[in-house]
Amino acid sequence: MIEVKGFSFTYPTGSRPALHDIGFEVGPHELCAVVGGSGAGKSTLAGVVSGTIPHLTGGSAEGLVRVNGRDLADIALSGLVGEVGLVMQNPFNQISGARFSVREEIAFGLENMGVPRDEMAARVDTVLHDLGLTKVRDRSPYELSGGQQQLLAIGSVLVMRPTVMVLDEPTSQLDAAGSALVFEALGTLREQGVTTLLIEHRMERLARAADHVLVLDGGMIVAQGSPGEVLADERLEEWGVAPLRYTVAARRAAARGLWPDARPLPVTLDAAAEGFGATVAHLARGDRR
Amino acid sequence: MSTVQNSPHATGNSFVHRLSPLTKLTFAVTVTVCAFAVVDYRWPLLLFCALLLPAAIGAKVVRRFLLMLATFWVPVAAILFVIQGFFFPEAHDVIARFGPLELKSEGVAYALLTALHILVLMGGFFLLLLTTHAATLMSALSERNVSPSLIYIVSAALQIVPTLSRRATRILHAQQARGQVIHGLRGRARALVPLVGPLILGAFTDVGERAAAMETRGFGATRRPTSLITVPDSAVQRSARVAMMLCAVAAVTVNVWGVMR
Repeated sequence: MIEVKGFSFTYPTGSRPALHDIGFEVGPHELCAVVGGSGAGKSTLAGVVSGTIPHLTGGSAEGLVRVNGRDLADIALSGLVGEVGLVMQNPFNQISGARFSVREEIAFGLENMGVPRDEMAARVDTVLHDLGLTKVRDRSPYELSGGQQQLLAIGSVLVMRPTVMVLDEPTSQLDAAGSALVFEALGTLREQGVTTLLIEHRMERLARAADHVLVLDGGMIVAQGSPGEVLADERLEEWGVAPLRYTVAARRAAARGLWPDARPLPVTLDAAAEGFGATVAHLARGDRR
Repeated sequence: MSTVQNSPHATGNSFVHRLSPLTKLTFAVTVTVCAFAVVDYRWPLLLFCALLLPAAIGAKVVRRFLLMLATFWVPVAAILFVIQGFFFPEAHDVIARFGPLELKSEGVAYALLTALHILVLMGGFFLLLLTTHAATLMSALSERNVSPSLIYIVSAALQIVPTLSRRATRILHAQQARGQVIHGLRGRARALVPLVGPLILGAFTDVGERAAAMETRGFGATRRPTSLITVPDSAVQRSARVAMMLCAVAAVTVNVWGVMR
């Protein structure tokens, strides 16, 4: 579980807060998505919840951040290993650089945690299979494509079975199939009771996967709620977030009286298809009359 | 385990390949120390011909072994002969003249001995590298309680070339996309200057992010680390290592006391 209350943070070299008076909660099994424009504070928030900020960066922090009931201000980063997993935007920087094959790279964290060899091998092989990396298990991490490296970065965290996962744009370098694998893995995590904070640009997938959505703008939370409420908000573009095209199409249709009144604006393709289908059926009935 | 591009390790299943990396490391150190025991050029040559060359042949890596020596040892030996042969201090016995330069026998003898010492040193460690996957060597060191930080530094150093090469390629591509022409020797030389800045600065920038990722994966944890890789070992090999270490101590003793000078 993640609890953030009245949290503000300023980097050591910053003149204004990167995050200002942030507050939200993510319960067990829940997936909270964070969206926002460039410089909104999304990656800073990921660092704060994973404990790397301000532990490794320095800077001034106010307010409360709790993970599984523990105040992060009172815990050293090493105390969170295995409990909170962080997947960063750039997979190249997440590779340890000290392991010679994909399999060894995934095992790196488990080795540091002193996990026995047999258990380690089983966990590594499961993750390789789940993320479709079995074929490249003996290749050097540096020989992988950007997408495969991203999956490797996710796998290297998943293998540690954290109860809280923080993912900072994990699909930014993946193709459609790779993204599908990641979201599939996220679904499995939720079933296992993992709490997830996901920073993501792929709105369609996010709308289907998330329980809550936060919108960050200028270091502040400007909107939060269910994906249906937040992603259909007409101020989304003002906050630097590109809305889904079919949500925009439905809004324009509604302005012309061509969207069913009782139906909320769609944030998934299926809902859009249903809504436009209902409109077409309604118009067809009117024509017949 | 398959060969990875950035490792000199040659895949194989010979007797030498199957030895513990620690046994091969101890052998490399011992044979190097022993080479210095006797001040006679025939002694390191004997060690090379009687121990290292047969081991390389037995491991079926002799071609790569000799190729590595040709690449690394031959230039070093050539430089040694030139510098020591012509400029060895207090040498008098001139054996040839090249214009104002005089080649002296004392310098040639010293260069020969030093070059053969280096041949044994390189031969021992090349044999280790060719028959041992770096990961297995690191695991073996980890099991012997060598500091994880030290192991990390060695492992990362072994991979720094492909890492920097990949980054340099990206930077060069980005610069070419913005109109930089890299053609011919002069073009490549010109491209070097704008490449070095982003290459080095970028590497420093990434250090912070990588450190954070490593911390969240338990690097620096106080628990004793385990290893995924199984390292082969046996009582016979442990005894052999002790015997080799005793040989090395004996060689140092012989050298210090000057018994065989």
